[in-house]
Amino acid sequence: MSLKSLDPRVTRLNLPEGEVPAMEPKPELDQFETYEAFHQKKEGAAYTYVGPVHAPNEDVAFLFAKEQYSRRFACTGIWIARTENIQLTLYGNDSENVYDMMRVEEPAERSEQPEPYEIFHLKKRGKAHVHAGRVMATSYLEALQEAKQQFGEKGPVVNVWVVRSKDVLQSAEEDKDMWTTIPEKKYREAIAYKVMDKITKYKEENKPTTAQ
Amino acid sequence: MYGGGNVFEATKFDDLQTEDPAKLAEFEARIARGEKIEPTDWMPELYRKQLIRMIEQHAHSEIIGALPEGTWITRAPGFRRKMAQMAKVQDEVGHAQLLYSAAETLGKSREQMLTDLINGKSKYSNVFNYPAFTWADSNIISWLIDAGAIVNQMANAKGSYGPYSRALERICAEEAFHLKYGHDAVVHMATGTPKQREMIQAALNRWWPPIMTFFGPSDKMSTHTETLVRWKVKMATNDECRQQFLDMYVPKIWELGLTVPDPNLKKNMETGQWEYTEPDWDEFKRVINGDGPCNAERLAVRRTAEERGAWVRRALLNPKAKYVKPLA
Repeated sequence: MSLKSLDPRVTRLNLPEGEVPAMEPKPELDQFETYEAFHQKKEGAAYTYVGPVHAPNEDVAFLFAKEQYSRRFACTGIWIARTENIQLTLYGNDSENVYDMMRVEEPAERSEQPEPYEIFHLKKRGKAHVHAGRVMATSYLEALQEAKQQFGEKGPVVNVWVVRSKDVLQSAEEDKDMWTTIPEKKYREAIAYKVMDKITKYKEENKPTTAQ
Repeated sequence: MYGGGNVFEATKFDDLQTEDPAKLAEFEARIARGEKIEPTDWMPELYRKQLIRMIEQHAHSEIIGALPEGTWITRAPGFRRKMAQMAKVQDEVGHAQLLYSAAETLGKSREQMLTDLINGKSKYSNVFNYPAFTWADSNIISWLIDAGAIVNQMANAKGSYGPYSRALERICAEEAFHLKYGHDAVVHMATGTPKQREMIQAALNRWWPPIMTFFGPSDKMSTHTETLVRWKVKMATNDECRQQFLDMYVPKIWELGLTVPDPNLKKNMETGQWEYTEPDWDEFKRVINGDGPCNAERLAVRRTAEERGAWVRRALLNPKAKYVKPLA
């Protein structure tokens, strides 16, 4: 016996009916590794953390992030970094500055030449990390110290993320047209549904007749 | 969509005495100050377990909830409705991705969550174990199930766990379209031909009992519940959500000249509370435990998708990949 559905396409799948053996647990990495995505809401705005995606590589992560995070809201650019490549400080309390709580440590490894690192700040718990800027350094720790010098003075910073610029896949200037959506997508905006007009008209036409 | 009916069962983690008192005090003080908890913070085991359970169920509900509406995409009347229905279903599946990631930050892998869903170990919103017989059923789901979900999600977005709040803010923003789209679809039917009115009324009659169970049975006010309320895991009781839903939507149903199939439904003007026939909680329990009209189909469809896609995922997997849980 196979499973009967109201949807003939489901019925045609010939799925077994009744007790079925449990599915084998999914193997590790069946859902791939994780990447963190940042978006730019409009030209010139700082890149802001939007959330993670699971993907087999960073190009696919970019496509998934574009689908997940730019489909419904204005977006002019996306950055992708493998979660593994992002280093973070501890989390401070709201209104604290974690830069003041850092111990200055000697990095275990350094690159020969200084290279660029991207710095992201979380201003308040529960909000999103925002790109503070780029620094040149020979290690994550040095990048963090540089970041303290350059951006550490401005108000509370609850948490800092540091990632090497070369580990960030950034959407290119020349590909800007990929963010232009066709205007005929009003059907997915709440504002396109003029419900009240229809209700008012219905009520007008169906007024209870008052006794003479 | 979804976000309701969490039954917080007492667990063996109820006993907080095993937790470090200094850390627990610091954790509680943070929540009392209105600060959010972030993934690397210390947290009591009870907090972690309950949030995983709640966020995971929410994620499963999004992905399973996409099925009854999804089957109506090709049969939606007209091109514009097909496009809108498709956009909505795509949103719901996207919400599942956001929520799975939020749950993952607490330490349960996405692989484990999907395995538990398919093997019936984790639950999803019980309403999706009922079928969408007609296009009108799909409209009622789009409007009233989403409306119920929004009531719940708006409350939960103010909860204490950072990643869940961030995901919910995004989800609520997208739901605004779903609600209007669903309302518009119902209004179109209700103000249309006699046949259309008849269809939408019949769908409302079918869906009302499941809708009334959507927020779950009345909470037992135990110390366990009080703890979860204090930790801002549970932001409103199931009854508060149900009352708020009735307050907002019963007048909107009535103004269309539709009837709600419950002769006892009325607002008590003295107490300000809605009175209604107690939903059939025995049926609720039976269905949530597997014996509903669509449980088998929902899980079988989901399982087929997982199994048929497995070889693609294996082929794409980078052999050097290493799992790191999402940061936030």
